[in-house]
Order: sequence, then C-alpha cells, then structure tokens
Amino acid sequence: MGSGGGPASVCIEARNEHNRQTGGGSRHNASVTTADRSAIRVEALRKHYGSLQAVRGIDLDVRHGEVFGFVGPNGAGKSTTIRCLLDLIRPTSGRIEVLGLDPRAQGVEMRSRIAYVPGELRLPERMTSRQLVASIARLRGGLDDRRRDDVVERLGIDLDRRMRDLSTGNRRKVALLLAFAARAELLILDEPTSGLDPLMQHEFIGLVREARAAGTTVFLSSHVLSEVQRAADRVAVLKDGRVVVEGTVDELRGRARQRVEAWFVGEAPADEIRAVPGIVDPLIDGRRLAATLSGSPAPLLAILARHPVASLVLEEPDLEDAFLGLYAEAP
Amino acid sequence: MSRVVELVAGPLRHLRRSTLGWGIGLAALVGLTVAFWPAFRDSSGISQAIDSLPSGLVEAFGLEDFGTPAGFLRGNLYEFIVPLLLAIAAIAAANGLTAAEEDSGRLEIYLAQPVSRGALFLGRALAVAAWVAVITILILAVQLASDSIVGLAIDTGLVVATVVLCGLLALAHGALALAVAGWSARPALVLSIGVAVVVAGYLVAALFPLSDVLEPLQALSPWEWALGGDPLVNAAEPWRYVSLVVPTVALTIFGLVGFTRRDVRAA
Repeated sequence: MGSGGGPASVCIEARNEHNRQTGGGSRHNASVTTADRSAIRVEALRKHYGSLQAVRGIDLDVRHGEVFGFVGPNGAGKSTTIRCLLDLIRPTSGRIEVLGLDPRAQGVEMRSRIAYVPGELRLPERMTSRQLVASIARLRGGLDDRRRDDVVERLGIDLDRRMRDLSTGNRRKVALLLAFAARAELLILDEPTSGLDPLMQHEFIGLVREARAAGTTVFLSSHVLSEVQRAADRVAVLKDGRVVVEGTVDELRGRARQRVEAWFVGEAPADEIRAVPGIVDPLIDGRRLAATLSGSPAPLLAILARHPVASLVLEEPDLEDAFLGLYAEAP
Repeated sequence: MSRVVELVAGPLRHLRRSTLGWGIGLAALVGLTVAFWPAFRDSSGISQAIDSLPSGLVEAFGLEDFGTPAGFLRGNLYEFIVPLLLAIAAIAAANGLTAAEEDSGRLEIYLAQPVSRGALFLGRALAVAAWVAVITILILAVQLASDSIVGLAIDTGLVVATVVLCGLLALAHGALALAVAGWSARPALVLSIGVAVVVAGYLVAALFPLSDVLEPLQALSPWEWALGGDPLVNAAEPWRYVSLVVPTVALTIFGLVGFTRRDVRAA
C-alpha cells in the first residue's frame, strides 16, 4: 500500500451541483495540490435529517502527520461528520476529500488507508477478540502482527473472551487494537477513550504519540478537552453543527476558562480579586473565593502569593463552560 | 481472495447457531412424519375419512390421494409446512445478516474496512443462499434416508425436484427480505413484509382455486409457480425453477442498489 498522496481525485458534491460548473479541469488541478498537504479536507459540509440539522456547514483542513482534535459536547455533530468521512452516511451538501480521495467514489481505496474506531461501538457478540481480529485482518489483507502483539500487551487485552462478556472499556480496547494494528495512514478515532480507566487513557495517549511519530495522521474526537490537549497539535471545537473555534492547543488553552476555588487563611482580599483581569463572576464569601478565570492565571496567582492560602483548586471545567465565551461569539 | 471469501464466510459463521436450530427442527419434522407412513398405510380409516370431505376442501389442503406415498408426503409436508418453515428460515437469516445487524450498529466495523457496500451486501446474500442450500440438502437427505428405512416407495427424482423447489421458494422470500433490508434497516419491517408475503402466497395458491372468479389469480402466487404442478407426482417443468430464480436475483440486485445509495444506520 503506497503511502504517497494517492491518485488525484475530483470531489463530488452531494446534491449541490453549482460547483460542478466550475469545470473538471481546474478542480482536478486544485485537488492535486490539496492532496499533497491535507489528509482531510472538508468544505461547507452539511448533513440534515429531515428538519434536524446535525451538521451546518463545517470546514476542516487536517494536515498530513498531525494529531487533530475534534472537540465538542455530545450532539454537536462530531460523529455525523466522521461518518460522512468514511462514507457511512452521505452529506446533504458540501465537499469531502480524505487522503486526496473522494469517499463516495473511491471508498474502498480510501478505507484501505484508514482505520476507524466508531463512537457508538458495537462488536459481534458471539465472537472472541481473536476471531474478530482474524476476520478484520482478512478483510484488510493483513494487520501489522508485531504492532498487534504490542497493543494487546499494553492494553491488557484477553483475546479469548467473547465480546458479549466484555465491559464497554474492554470492547473499546479491542476496537483500538484493530485501529492501531491496521497499516493505516490515517486513524479516525471517535471518542476512543470513553469507558477506559485513567491508566488505559494514559496508554492510549502513548499509542497516539507513537503513531504520530511514525508519520500517521490522527483525527481524534472527544467531548473531553483535556484528553485532546494532551495529544493533539491542533483542535477544532464544534457546537451545534458548526466549528466555533479552531487553533493550536496552546491558542485554545489561552482562551479556555478555568474554575478557581481558593480558601484563604484570613479574609479573602475581595477588592484585589475583583480587579484581576480575566476574572468572571467572583463569588467571595468570607475566606472562600469561587470564580471563573479566562486567560492566564498569572495575575491571580500573584495575589494569592501575597496572602496566606489554605487550599487552592484550579480546574478545567467541562467543555461547555470552558468555551462559554466562544460559543456565545459563534454566529 | 481471502477478502472475498471472508465476505461470505464471516456472515456464514454468524448463522452457525441457527443452522443447528432450523436444521434439527426441519429434519426431525421430516423424519418423524415419514416414520408414521407404515402405520398410516395399514389403516384405511383416515383415507376414507378424507374421501368423505368436500372435494374443494381436500384440494385446498393438498389432501388428494392421501393414501399414496406422494399424497402422504404432499399433505403432511410439502403442501404447506416445509415450504413455509423453510421460507421463514430464509427470511430470518437474510434479516439477521443485514437489517438486524445494521440496526444494532454491528455492520459499522465491517463497513469501515476496505470493502464496498455492494460487495458486503452481495457477500451476505450469498451467505443466505449457501445457508438455505445447506438446510435444503439436509431436508432432502433426511427425506431420502427415511423413505428407504420405512419403505416409502416414491421416485427419488420427484422428491429431489420437490425439495429443491421448496428451497428455491424459500430463497425467493429470503431475497425479498434482502430487498427490503437494502432500502431500510428496520428488522421488524423486513420480517413482517417477508412473512406477510409468504403467508399471502400460500393463501392465494390454496384458497383462490375454490372460487371461479379468483381462480385465475392463483397464478400470482410463488407457491403456485413452485409447487402448482404437484412435483411429487409430475416431473416439474423447467420454467418453474426459472420463475423462482429470476425474482431471487432481481430482488437481491434491487436490495443491493438500495444499500449502496442510502445512509448506514448508526447504533
């Protein structure tokens, strides 16, 4: 299986004919250049189910060799977008190009170079992991055996148990095994760590970093920002079927809000705290301070350093809160 | 090559358990029925009782010549119960490999592999065909073996033709299930349409001849195409086989086209 850019493709629009009139030739050339630098290219993707608009115009550009985080609360349209990439569902409109290929017309070749872990994971109940791995290996024309053995050991997978006897987390491990042992240029992982314990999540991050080091592109969806921050180079945040923010992890970290809770030894210095830039809705009650902080924590920490503090909690809120500001800005 | 084999063999492994259930059930039905032949042959009472029924009723239930080996097998097995059960088995197998799998979200992991939708669907259609063939051959083997054990004298060729026609009738209904499943991943819809058609087909073939007005419409029923010529008595004409194979292929292709065009259902 070649790992180059692959044949140039002509993207097709689903039921969106006007772009066709721009002429095959020029678009063909455009695809050649995008295939060189983009692993996934999505333009104005929409997916409607009747009156429900699951995806409302998403643009994405995932570069070769990067780990791209696709973050959003449940129901934001992450899985819908991902299932469009794999040609499991067909867009209402918009263009998709994966590894320079059109998912609809060149799906078989495309999927031979992709490995996918579904978000809603359902595996054949009566099969053992070993049987499933063998079956998928036959469909893929082989797996990377050394990688398979490595992942089995690191995730602690018992290959001889049937799927129906496995917990959600253990099924997830089997799906991760199938993905990481596939000889794939692009891993599309939809909520891959849900159900995994923290130790296994840590192991998973290691697998993602190794895959990236080996030149594999990873498209990683999650509703947990911190997980994506640990592994991703760039992140797109999705809300109600739209990308509300996109940038590097550092850029996002600067914009994300954090929750602060501090107990002072004496009275909380209310006036000083209210003057801190980036502090939102401070709740000061005797010795206790509770607030939301956006931007750098440095000015607040400077105040805390001058006053004796009994305890301090600085934590990432859930995604919704972290990007409350961003969501509000979204059109 | 292994990819192509896996597309059929994988789904077939999935049907292993139902092979056991349906195979043992149908084989037992056939074997036990034939076992009663000697006792039945030696007691004339039942034949006389049937002769005293109105002739339309006798015909509707396939009870003509009930005292002969052909009449006995037709009335007890091949007029209704064997074709019906075999068709329901085929519908269930087709549904189990397509709509039910998709509805439960278990198709997704396979569709994410380098196989086309059409190849996956066709692989499952072939698995259904192979499975129905295995059950049909099992019925045939039990039928021929028990015939010779209890001394039920009937032409082997006619028995083979009859059982094969039942298998093809079942396959046509399996293909109907595939056609529905290709366009809609709703197992309840696939099963209810499949069973409704097989039962309606039987009723049309059995009851319409009782009415002069409805009798010509009997030709609409696949049951009539398969078994209307009384294949245990008369050698079945070649067109009867064709009349079952052609819709089987057409319905499968129709389902395949639907499956390649629509969204795959999420779990």
